[in-house]
Amino acid sequence: MIEIEDLTVMFGGVRGLNALTATLPEPVTGLVGPNGAGKTTLINVLSGFVRPTIGTVKIDGENLDGIALHKRAAFGIRRTFQNEQVVENLTAGGNVTAVLDNVPTDRRPRRELVEAALGFVGMIPKVHVMGADLNAYERRLVEIARATIGRPRLVMMDEPGAGLSQDESEHLRSVIKGIHDYCGAQVLLVDHDVDLISATCVATLVLDFGSRIAYGPTTAVLADPRVRAAYLGVAEESA
Amino acid sequence: MPDFMPFFVSGLATASTYVLSAVGIVVLYRASGVVNFSQGALGALAAFISWSIVERGGPEPVAWFAGVLVSTSLAFLYGRALAPRLAFSDPVMRAVATLGVALILLGVMGYVWGELPRRLRLPTDTMSFELIGVRITATRAIAFALAVLSTVAVMAFLAGSRLGLQMRALANNRDLSALLGVPVLRADGYAWIISGALAGVSGILLADLQRLSGQTLTFAVIPAISAAVIGRFSSLPATVVGGVAIGVCEALLTPVPVIGPFRTAVPFVFAVVALLWMQRKSTFVYR
Amino acid sequence: MTDETLTYSLPVDTRKVRLKWLVTALVAVGAVYVLSDAMSNYWLRTFISAAALAIGSLSVSLLFAQLGMVSLAQFALLGVGGWFALRVSHGLGVPFELAILAGGIAAAAFGLIVGLPALRMRGLYLAIITLMMAGAIQVLISAFGFPDGGAGILGKSSGARVMMARPFLAQTDEAYFRYVAVVLALCYGLVLLHVRGRPGRAWAMIRRSEVCALAGGVHIVAYKVWAFALAGFLAGVAGGLLAGGVGQLDGSAFPASQSIMLFALTIVGGAYSWMGPLIAGLMLRAFPALLNDFHVDGNIATIVFGAGLLHALMTAPQGIAGQLQDATKALRAKFSGKSGAAR
Repeated sequence: MIEIEDLTVMFGGVRGLNALTATLPEPVTGLVGPNGAGKTTLINVLSGFVRPTIGTVKIDGENLDGIALHKRAAFGIRRTFQNEQVVENLTAGGNVTAVLDNVPTDRRPRRELVEAALGFVGMIPKVHVMGADLNAYERRLVEIARATIGRPRLVMMDEPGAGLSQDESEHLRSVIKGIHDYCGAQVLLVDHDVDLISATCVATLVLDFGSRIAYGPTTAVLADPRVRAAYLGVAEESA
Repeated sequence: MPDFMPFFVSGLATASTYVLSAVGIVVLYRASGVVNFSQGALGALAAFISWSIVERGGPEPVAWFAGVLVSTSLAFLYGRALAPRLAFSDPVMRAVATLGVALILLGVMGYVWGELPRRLRLPTDTMSFELIGVRITATRAIAFALAVLSTVAVMAFLAGSRLGLQMRALANNRDLSALLGVPVLRADGYAWIISGALAGVSGILLADLQRLSGQTLTFAVIPAISAAVIGRFSSLPATVVGGVAIGVCEALLTPVPVIGPFRTAVPFVFAVVALLWMQRKSTFVYR
Repeated sequence: MTDETLTYSLPVDTRKVRLKWLVTALVAVGAVYVLSDAMSNYWLRTFISAAALAIGSLSVSLLFAQLGMVSLAQFALLGVGGWFALRVSHGLGVPFELAILAGGIAAAAFGLIVGLPALRMRGLYLAIITLMMAGAIQVLISAFGFPDGGAGILGKSSGARVMMARPFLAQTDEAYFRYVAVVLALCYGLVLLHVRGRPGRAWAMIRRSEVCALAGGVHIVAYKVWAFALAGFLAGVAGGLLAGGVGQLDGSAFPASQSIMLFALTIVGGAYSWMGPLIAGLMLRAFPALLNDFHVDGNIATIVFGAGLLHALMTAPQGIAGQLQDATKALRAKFSGKSGAAR
C-alpha cells in the first residue's frame, strides 16, 4: 500500500510534483503521463534520491521520511532504472548476490535465493555470465532479479519496456504480472507503452505537471478524455 | 614572546608565490578541467634555467625571461600535444598524468643540476625599505606586488576580454562551447600559457625566497593546490585568501616552540578543513 | 568508458583454471626457492625490498582497480607502518609478526583519520588530500626519524642503532626472502577474499555508479572506508617487512615523490592484474639497483617512470601486465590453430 499525501517537490523554481495525493493499493499499478509530468520524480522520492519539499509518503503505513537512502533497499523499496545499472564486472549471479548482501533473507541459503531470483526471470542459464556480456534485455531481467530478491515491498520499474522485441515484450509482461505472487511486492510501473500498461496494471495513476489528473482501473483511466487531452493536447468535444 | 613581524612579512612573500601558482592552477582547471600537479615542477625548472644563465654570466633579465619562457612553453606543449590525448578520461586521470610530467621534470632537474644546496639570487634581495618599523626586502615587496597585479589582471582578463569569456565558457561546458563555435583548443592553449607563465614566475621567486631545490620547489605545488581547494577551484578571490592564509600561517608557526617543525602540515590542515566545510550540507545529487 | 576492474583470474576456460593455477603456484614456489639461494647478497636484499614494495603496490592497485580511487599516500603509509613496527619491536620486544601487525593497524588508522574527509567527495579531492598527506608524513618522518632502540616516544637511540629483530623462523637473508614471499602471498589471499566476497561486490556496485550502489542497499562511505583501511593495513605491513629486511629505515627515504612513483609504477605495471604489483615492486627497487650496477644516475629511473606513467595512461591503461596478458592470449590463439575464434 502506497500512501502519498500532499507531496510537493521543488527543483529551484520548477514544481516537479505539485501537491500530489494518491493511495495506491493494487498489486500492479501503472504510472503514466507526458514527459515532464513527474513520474520519475515520484519514483525518485519513493526510492529516496529526491527529498520532498512538502508532504509525506508512506509504504504499508510506515513513513519513509526517516529511512536513509541506502537503507531503503533493505526496507523493501526496490527499483529498476531507465539507464540500466547492471554491474559489468560481476556475473549475473554476482549482481543479484550483491543486493542480497544488504537485504533481509528468510534464513534460506543464499545460493538458493539467488537461483530462485534468477529462475523467476528466466536467467538461470546465464548465472555465470559477466554483466558485460549480457544483452540489453538480459540486463533488464537481472535488474528485476535484483529488485525481487530478499523481501521487497515495492518494486518500481522505470520504462522497462523500451526497445524490446515482441517476444521480449511478452516475456516482460508475464514477469511483471508474476511479481506479486512470487514475492508479495507491489509493483509500480512507469512506461510510455500503453499496451504494456493495459496488459499488466490493474489500476493506473496519471500525472501531468506534477499533479494527479486521474486514478482508477486502467481501461477506464486510459479512455478518460482528460488523460487523452494531456497526452495529445487535443480538447475533446464533450460527448 | 618572539617578534612575529619579520615572520609575517616573509610569510606574506612566500604566500605571494603560492598565490601566483594557485591562480595559474585555478585558471587552467576552469578552462581545461585539468589540475596541474606539475605546476611546481615547471616553476622549479624555470628557476634552474634562470640560475644557470646567471651562473654562466648572462644578463639577469634574459635569465628570468628565459626561465619563464621555458615553463610557459612546456606547459603549452603538454596542453596542446599530450593533454588532448586524455581529453576523454575522467578528471582524476588527467590530473594524474600531470604527475607523470612532474616526475619527468624532477628526474631531469636531478640529473642535470642535482640536489646541492643553492640559492637563486635576485638583485632586489639587497634592496630594502622600512614600513611601519619592519624591514622589507624589495624581492618580497615585488613578490607581493606581482601576486596582486597578476590576480587582478587575470580576473580582469577573464571578465573583460573575449578570450576570457571563451575560457569561462569552456569551464562551464566544454562540449557545448565547442558546439557554439568557441575555439576550444585555442582558449585551452591560452589557459596553459597563462598557467605556465605564472608557474615560472612563482618558481623563480620562491627559489629566491626559500631555496633552489628541485624537490622543494616541485612540492610547493601542495600549498598552491591547497589554496585552490579553499577556492573550490573556481573562485579566484577565495583562492588568494587561501594562499595568503596558508603562507602567513606557515611562517608565523616557525618560531613557535613545539609546533614549529609541523608547520609544513599547514596546507594539508587547511585543505582538510576546507573539505569538511564544503561537506557540511551533504546532499546527494541524483543525475 | 568500459569498466575494468581487477580480475584475479586469467581469462581462460574454467575447466583449465585449476591446472593453470597449480602450475603457476608450483613455478612461483620453485622460483622463490631457487632465487633465494642463487642470488648475491645485494640482489637478495633488493628482491626482499621489491617483494615488500609489491605489497605496497598491491594496496594502490586495490583502491584503483576496485574503486577507481587514486591514493598518492601509500608509500608514506608504508613509512608510518615501518615506524610503528620498529617502535613496537624495539620498545616492547614482541615477536616480529606482532610488530608488523601493529604497523599495519597503525597505518590503516592513520590513513583513515586523514583520508576520511576526502572519501566522501569526488575522486580528485582524494588524490589531492593523499598527496598532501604524503607531503606531511614526509616532513614528520624526516623530522623524527625512525626508532632504532632508544627510549622515549620517538625511540631514537643516542648510541649504536639497533637493527630490527627478524622473525624467529627467518633470520638469514635467504630465509627472510622466503618469509616475505609468503607474506606477499597471504596479502594477495586477503585481497582476493575481499574481492570475491561481499566487499568486492559492494565495491563493484559503487564503481558502476553511486545510484546503483545506493539502490542496492550499499553504504557507500562505509565500503570506501573499508577499502581505504585495508589498503592502509597492507601498506603498513609492507613497511614493517621493509624494516625487517634492511634492519633499519632511513628518515630521508620517504619523500612524497616516492608515493607518486609507487602509484605511477602500479599503473605502469598494470593496476588491473595480479601481476601488476609484482612488476611495480620490481621496477621500484630492482630497476634503480640495475642502473646503479651500470653506474647510471638514479634520476634516469625517475624520468623513465614518469614517461612510463604518461604512456600507460595514454595508450595502455592495462599496463605492462595487461599487455603481457594480451600477448599470451594472442600467442595461445596462434598455437591452438584456431583463427579468429574468441578465446
